[in-house]
Amino acid sequence: MNGKQLLLKALKERKVRFLFGYTGGAIMPVFDEMEKMGVFEFVMARHEQGAAFMAQGLSRASLSTSAPQIGVCLSTSGPGAMNLVTGVADAHMDSVPILAITGQVATGVIATDAFQESDVVGVMMPICKQTYMPLVADDVEKTVHEACYVATTGRGGPVVIDLPKDVQNQQVKDDYRFDSKKFRPHLPGYFCNPTPEREPIKQAIELINKSERPLIFCGHGVINSNAGDLLRRFVEKVNIPVASTFHGLSAFPADHPKHLGMMGMHGTVEANRAIMEADLLIALGMRFDDRVTGKLEEYAQNAAVIHVDIDASEIDKNVKTTVAITADVYRTLHVLMGDPMVTCIPRRRWWDKINSFREVMKDDLREEIEVGVGNDNKLLMKGIVHRLSEVTKGRDLIVADVGQHQMMCARFYNYQTTNSWFGSGGAGTMGCSLPMAIGVKLARPKERVWSISGDGGFQMNFQELGTIMEKKIDVKIIILNNGYLGMVRQWQTFFFNGCYAGTPMQSPDFGLISQAYGIPYRKVELLQDVVPAIEEAIACEGAMILEFVCDPAEVILPMIPSGGGFGDMMTRHPHAPKKDQTKQGEAA
Amino acid sequence: MKRRAILAFTLDHPGVLNKISMLIRKKMYNVDTLTVCRSRIPGVSRMTITLRENDQARVDQVVRQLEKFTEVISVKELDTDHSYWREVAIVKLEMDASVLDTFHGRYNFEILEQKSDDIHILQVAGSTRRIDAFLDEVGQEHIVEIARTGVTAMEK
Ligand SMILES: Cc1ncc(C[n+]2csc(CCOP(=O)(O)OP(=O)(O)O)c2C)c(N)n1
Ligand SMILES: [Mg+2]
Repeated sequence: MNGKQLLLKALKERKVRFLFGYTGGAIMPVFDEMEKMGVFEFVMARHEQGAAFMAQGLSRASLSTSAPQIGVCLSTSGPGAMNLVTGVADAHMDSVPILAITGQVATGVIATDAFQESDVVGVMMPICKQTYMPLVADDVEKTVHEACYVATTGRGGPVVIDLPKDVQNQQVKDDYRFDSKKFRPHLPGYFCNPTPEREPIKQAIELINKSERPLIFCGHGVINSNAGDLLRRFVEKVNIPVASTFHGLSAFPADHPKHLGMMGMHGTVEANRAIMEADLLIALGMRFDDRVTGKLEEYAQNAAVIHVDIDASEIDKNVKTTVAITADVYRTLHVLMGDPMVTCIPRRRWWDKINSFREVMKDDLREEIEVGVGNDNKLLMKGIVHRLSEVTKGRDLIVADVGQHQMMCARFYNYQTTNSWFGSGGAGTMGCSLPMAIGVKLARPKERVWSISGDGGFQMNFQELGTIMEKKIDVKIIILNNGYLGMVRQWQTFFFNGCYAGTPMQSPDFGLISQAYGIPYRKVELLQDVVPAIEEAIACEGAMILEFVCDPAEVILPMIPSGGGFGDMMTRHPHAPKKDQTKQGEAA
Repeated sequence: MKRRAILAFTLDHPGVLNKISMLIRKKMYNVDTLTVCRSRIPGVSRMTITLRENDQARVDQVVRQLEKFTEVISVKELDTDHSYWREVAIVKLEMDASVLDTFHGRYNFEILEQKSDDIHILQVAGSTRRIDAFLDEVGQEHIVEIARTGVTAMEK
């Protein structure tokens, strides 16, 4: 056996089915072997970044299925590996386990500036969970198993294996032995104890029982530990409101009466106001990102904090914790659920308050969604997403890109299916949606997948239409085309006196693009055509592209300005004619 | 700014020092001193890093993030009250032997070599402050060359 054979053998044993990638000199031996073995389904991306996002989509979407898979992407050395960087950094920010395997120049010429040589380990080290560079064939198999273990345990993350070309071809020594079943990685510095300790649990229960205005945060960790359903049962038992982080969405049914929706910069009024007023935050698997907290000095000043996270380094990082539980969310909830000390209190005054927060923007939003069009009768994104949600009954899988349309998808799709919401949160990488949706579809082939992008982000990775065409991947593609880098435009409107620098954008004829890839296409400009177009895409066998012509002046509200506190939350367009001012005051 | 010493036991793997120094840079510190040596356990290195920070919470954060690295086995902040901080300096001096004699007994040093009448190479060990005091008393004008190890530390 040689290095490349052991690499692929180990991947097979790890139940890897799909390999996303792009070939080149330094990875050719592995590709050659892969072709001969014939056990993997190779998905050729059109750019290595696409391969990394496909791998993310597969990992994330398969997580909640009976057969979780780790997404694996392959690239050649130098430029190939560098093209993976954005996708790997993105996976790191969002704790997504993927394996990136990069070819490297032969060990004999490393550090001589050989053709297509880059210091991949050096570049990747600060943006991934772990890097490996096996220098002999005997280490390859062990490395792959350890890499998969590290990527998928504890707080997940990307792991990079940089494999020199000569090691790919090298034969193992005569006495080489490896038993993958018995293999346990020796990692004395790697701690991931998923079981909560008794003492903090007791303290947490005390805090929960005596709190008058508690609030639960549903973070990405709820999805990653498959604790969504358990959380729902817990919440129903203890009668505490829940707000979700961006990545926590879809862990919990979006329209559940105890759910307040997304929190943070573009979170709902009810979630954000509840945070301001709460006396206890029970944070489950989340990291108090600055998009969630706003100005830290003003954040949740009256609240004690119970912070549950598998990653000990998140405790006290941004928000001072009262009780820290370093453990898996599922196990923690399981313990809390079974503890008879936890009481259910009606907390009527708290719920009354929350219900009044729910009223603040309700009418405005309802009106906007119903009217569905803005300036020049151009479509409003929130109206489109709302109608998509209605037609699909909130059951489909949504993969959003980055921008205003992303926030619209977070806010106005009524997530009913567990783990049905995907995108780039921590990094906010435009262009993630199309390739990620491919990975999501491969992981969950029976479910309908929508890739929803802006005109800007779509053009960052729309080369992956080639993959969709070639592999006949059934992804329904929506372009919400407002002719602008809308999210940046919104900031320019609010904070830069409407100086639209570098945000207006001319786009190609997306109809012709679709035609070039042989993908059916429809352009929608009128409100009455929105629902029929969605229905047409659903009825269409295979991929379809819908382009909606949207109003560039639409904004996503509320908004907490970057660096501002929750007290600075804007619920109205600052330049809009001020209508009844009283409503906000009453609710406060 | 308060001087902090962080003690870390790490696997003796390539790239570990790189990872640790990258984290410290990312946290926007300038490493004051850094010493690495073998520990009692084969394959495990012992590292002492000193840096300057007043905010205890930020130091705790560095400790936790270091601990998170797969190759880092344990990390602890050592404070001066509950640990010994020591370093060694090798100094080349231009000074009359008789003058140097007056330092004996007051400072812990050893003459490694007398190169000529007035050129000596000596070794001084002790706390940073003690070595600084010695060098101050000797006077900059007498120092030809100096090499210091940086701090290594151990809990009392
Ligand atoms: C790779 C990358 N470059 C730049 C940005 C900054 N950015 C965030 S949102 C946005 C605008 C996105 O425009 P579009 O895709 O058209 O979506 P819209 O906001 O109009 O819905 C930009 C430029 C980013 N997030 N990612
Ligand atoms: Mg746009």
